[in-house]
Amino acid sequence: MDTKSTPPPRPHQIPNPSRPDFLACWAAASPSKPMLAFHFLRALSRIHGVTTVRRRTRTIRRAAYSSMARAASPRRAWSRALLGQARARRSRTLTGRAVLLRRRRITAAAPPQPSSPASRSATIIAARGEISTAAARPLPPRQEGEPPRADALRRLVPGGAGMEYCSLLEETADYLRSLRAQVQLMQGLIDLFSCQ
Amino acid sequence: MSSRRGRITDEEINELISKLQALLPESSRSRSASRSSASKLLKETCSYIKSLHREVDDLSDRLSELMSTMDNNSPQAEIIRSLLR
Repeated sequence: MDTKSTPPPRPHQIPNPSRPDFLACWAAASPSKPMLAFHFLRALSRIHGVTTVRRRTRTIRRAAYSSMARAASPRRAWSRALLGQARARRSRTLTGRAVLLRRRRITAAAPPQPSSPASRSATIIAARGEISTAAARPLPPRQEGEPPRADALRRLVPGGAGMEYCSLLEETADYLRSLRAQVQLMQGLIDLFSCQ
Repeated sequence: MSSRRGRITDEEINELISKLQALLPESSRSRSASRSSASKLLKETCSYIKSLHREVDDLSDRLSELMSTMDNNSPQAEIIRSLLR
């Protein structure tokens, strides 16, 4: 796997004491938030080269989801699905054989899952394309009593297509928490930057 | 996270659903009874996730605009650099 390994975050002091120290308070609320800030800020600091506003917006949005996925535990299927999508997107810029080799490496290095081969191939398929393509995906396993609304949820949560209903609910809860933390982080950054 | 084999009890599902309900914003919870149907809850979850996605897009937009006005030596850049050290 080509994910970067990062050192565990240390609680850092913000050098400017006049700032509300929102990061310190916000980071104290949940253990994963410093990692989220670290990944996102690092991605942001690399962006400076991009000139067009539209492309920068897109890059920031992708960085948001990638840093969300990186900060989450790799046991989470949605995190793996998001990172797989990012990899597939990057590999699409390469051509031909390079893409094939990269995809073979990804499928070979995919984390071992205790679930059946069917859901594993579904995860790989979800990693290959974007979420929207539903044609080639195997049917999601249906549980008894699973409401029809669950299909819409499967489309929204990354990697949701191959999951059982129970896992889907768990993943949704975790995904929601991370999404909220990400939104709070971005909002806080904007506030930080815009109050001069 | 263990994958459950065999029959999944309704109890477990209800527990997961109530956990999900606890995550949703307050406004949706106070209106309906404490026992909203699973389908309704899923619908609210879907719309909540969609609204969060929209918010991420919007915030990315604003961040992008902010970054364009930020020069390299401003105090904000200094904060970022110190955080990443």
